Amino acid sequence: MRLLSLSLFLLFYFLLSSCDASSQHTNNWAVLVCSSRYWFNYRHMANALGMYRTVKRLGIPDSNIILMLADDAACNSRNKFAGSVYANPGRHLDLYGENIEVDYRGYEVTVENFLRLLTGRLSSSVPRSKRLLTDSSSNIFIYLTGHGGNEFLKFQDNEEVSAHDIADAFHQMYEGGRYNEIFFMVDTCQANSMYSKFYSPGILATGSSVVGENSYSHENDYDIGVAVIDSYTHYVLEYMEKVNKTSRLTMADLFTSYDVPKIGSHPGVRSDLFERPLGPGNPNHPMSEYGRGRGWTVEGGGEWMGREIEAGKNGRVLREALITDFFGGVVDVDVNNEDDAELRLFEDPECISTPKAPLSPLTDTYSSPPSSRSSSSLLNMLDTYPFLRPFLAFILLGALFVLVFSGMTSGRS
Amino acid sequence: MMDAESRFRDPSSLFFQFDTIRRYIIASYWVLITLALPLWWTTTSIERLPLPTSEVYAQAQKRLEIPLAICVDSAFSSQITSLQRSIRDAASYLDVQAHLGQDCSQFPGYAVLPGERILVEDRKLYYPPSADNLASTLASLLAPKMDHRAAQYSPRFRLSFTLLNEDSSAGQAIARHIHPITSALGILHNYTIESQVQYHALLAFEPRSLSNGTVFGLTPEDLTIFINSAEWTLSSSSSNDPVFHFVLFIPSARRRPLIILNSDGTPSSSNLPDLQSSFSSFSRHLLTLLGFPRLPPSISYSSSSNTSLSSWQIDTLLRQRIHENVIQSHDTLQSTVTLVSQIDGMPVDEQVQSQVQGSLSALHELFRYASVNLTFAEMLAYSAQALTLSSKAFFHPGMLAMLYFPAEHKYAVYTPLFASAMIPLLAAALREIAAWRKERREARAVGDVREATSGDGPKVDTKSVL
Repeated sequence: MRLLSLSLFLLFYFLLSSCDASSQHTNNWAVLVCSSRYWFNYRHMANALGMYRTVKRLGIPDSNIILMLADDAACNSRNKFAGSVYANPGRHLDLYGENIEVDYRGYEVTVENFLRLLTGRLSSSVPRSKRLLTDSSSNIFIYLTGHGGNEFLKFQDNEEVSAHDIADAFHQMYEGGRYNEIFFMVDTCQANSMYSKFYSPGILATGSSVVGENSYSHENDYDIGVAVIDSYTHYVLEYMEKVNKTSRLTMADLFTSYDVPKIGSHPGVRSDLFERPLGPGNPNHPMSEYGRGRGWTVEGGGEWMGREIEAGKNGRVLREALITDFFGGVVDVDVNNEDDAELRLFEDPECISTPKAPLSPLTDTYSSPPSSRSSSSLLNMLDTYPFLRPFLAFILLGALFVLVFSGMTSGRS
Repeated sequence: MMDAESRFRDPSSLFFQFDTIRRYIIASYWVLITLALPLWWTTTSIERLPLPTSEVYAQAQKRLEIPLAICVDSAFSSQITSLQRSIRDAASYLDVQAHLGQDCSQFPGYAVLPGERILVEDRKLYYPPSADNLASTLASLLAPKMDHRAAQYSPRFRLSFTLLNEDSSAGQAIARHIHPITSALGILHNYTIESQVQYHALLAFEPRSLSNGTVFGLTPEDLTIFINSAEWTLSSSSSNDPVFHFVLFIPSARRRPLIILNSDGTPSSSNLPDLQSSFSSFSRHLLTLLGFPRLPPSISYSSSSNTSLSSWQIDTLLRQRIHENVIQSHDTLQSTVTLVSQIDGMPVDEQVQSQVQGSLSALHELFRYASVNLTFAEMLAYSAQALTLSSKAFFHPGMLAMLYFPAEHKYAVYTPLFASAMIPLLAAALREIAAWRKERREARAVGDVREATSGDGPKVDTKSVL
């Protein structure tokens, strides 16, 4: 039988390097981490699975997604609907489904594995599906959810990762040429503190609540018996339902869709390390309305690090950041004329390879003192001389002990 | 009055307590703590072996110059300076040494000879003296721009051929088409070839049907989602080498012919008739992915061998890869030493140190002998070794920085443990010292009194005074 075959020149740039043009990425990756275990943290697993489904729907293949779930909610003995994870009380959509690949499960989700995954320092026996095989033209979407606090995130109820560790890991990724741009989203209590310590270029970050504020769950399901989704993630996923593979919605559209009374906490954005503009450079820049709707605090608007330099970004020739830059799968298709006589010299004039920008030595990494926010003079001094805090703590504790013991010894004689 | 011979000891004296023994006991605690301090220090410090930082920075400043000797026939004597300049502009890593010669056809390196047509044969370029584009032709032969689709250099590649549907003649096609390429480029990379056949490989979408359902077409949007990576298992995860996938899809009988459409809906001209030509297109794709430079369009190739790869192109690819590897190694080594100096909690063990030093020494060898007649294969070997070692050092699993804890947390954890042990020892030692000094003072005072009032009164037992 004559067979008619089809041959396409489809190139998947998973491991190909492209030129170092600043906004040119050739592949997208996603790292989705649920860091808490136990049945009552069902909603964190539903968060991560909801993001997983969205990311897959928009085109990132399983080979480019690292999903880390610290516990198994679907096959939990307390799950009345075995094998399914739902994110809404009506149980309309099963997130667990049949086509899901969890890369790190259960006790494999540890701080060490997470940092090793990011920096690439895995032992040679770790299989490819558990590695982040990114290169300098990869855009990575990193999503963390779980229980957290001021500058830390709790893993598995027995250890923590701090914002400094993640910042250092991102810097090591920058040095190793492991990303083009990172979009960092975190949904925990006091989530905005998690991105406060970053210092490497090319990172856009958003969090669900400011320092001192909790993030809340959205809805309970009375048959499952626990809360099934977190508020911030629910509204982000709801917004992402409007996005499809070809949409031109920008990051500014996503950020301005935050509705504080609905979410229940004040989300934040950090874009000072991100060199592309968040939205189109029209006179009515969408981000100019960020943080000024109802529910936000009146003075200063919503928390947005990098608000001042956002206006300066529009003057440059960089493309604005689309949602599909991070959430879509990138496929470049070349259809070739299969003609031997026509071998062209492949010249791409805009693809000029430039060396990476020379490194400026950073003097302060994670020990930089935070900017002083309080007006009290003692706290100001504590902020400007960081060694004072542990010093004072040591003195106070030591004095307490000496007092106790000298009382005991003087009582004896 | 106490009777020294009494069998009963005087209860007013602390006869069960010996000062010296107590002092020895307290001193022994302190001696033990002092001896244990170095052990505690060594067991709680991380290993940070020194890295040759200044050497790395010095090495990173150097630029590799690969010598290139060209013998230009005297017919082109007027163009020799423009030749050198244009090649130099195209690639700064080439150290071009062009000289005029009478009998260039015997020259072992590159030769430019007059000829009727523009022709490339082995390492000779035949060029008509009347044509005037010699400089740009040579520049595009020796230093073309690298295709942006080319993969990054790796010493080993896996080529994975997947036939989606059943066919038994795939094996011979591999031998006929792919092996010539892999053998010609074998000095560059090691290749592992694997092939698989998959049945029932479904598309994730419906192709559009044209002309009453007799012809089916794939639009450009369909092409972006053609690879159904959820259902088709294309990759084997057993090794860490980069993989090139070559996929041949045979549509089901109900959907033939299946053709590719242009964006306006008309059939594109790139559709294939049969299996044999698919492998020749695979070989072309492989060449592009490996970064193989194409011959400039004006040149026709006269093949003295039966492969279509000329020595010019292979040499050019080798030089480009060597240059890239050197730059990449410099970058990686610099990043490594910068990170180690910036992040204090990052351990550096012996393997990392030896890998960095090994990479540096490979680079030193390469730079020292590059101008002194190294073959391209040897240069590539050195550069590949430098790249691999520097990459291994940077991504060594042992270089995981210690986690950050604020200083207050550390004090809050350690103070209840250490303070509650140390404070009693400290208090006891201070008390003993105070008691000892008081004793000495009183002994001296009693001695003075005794001297002053010698000979009168009964002796006073100094111990019972206390």
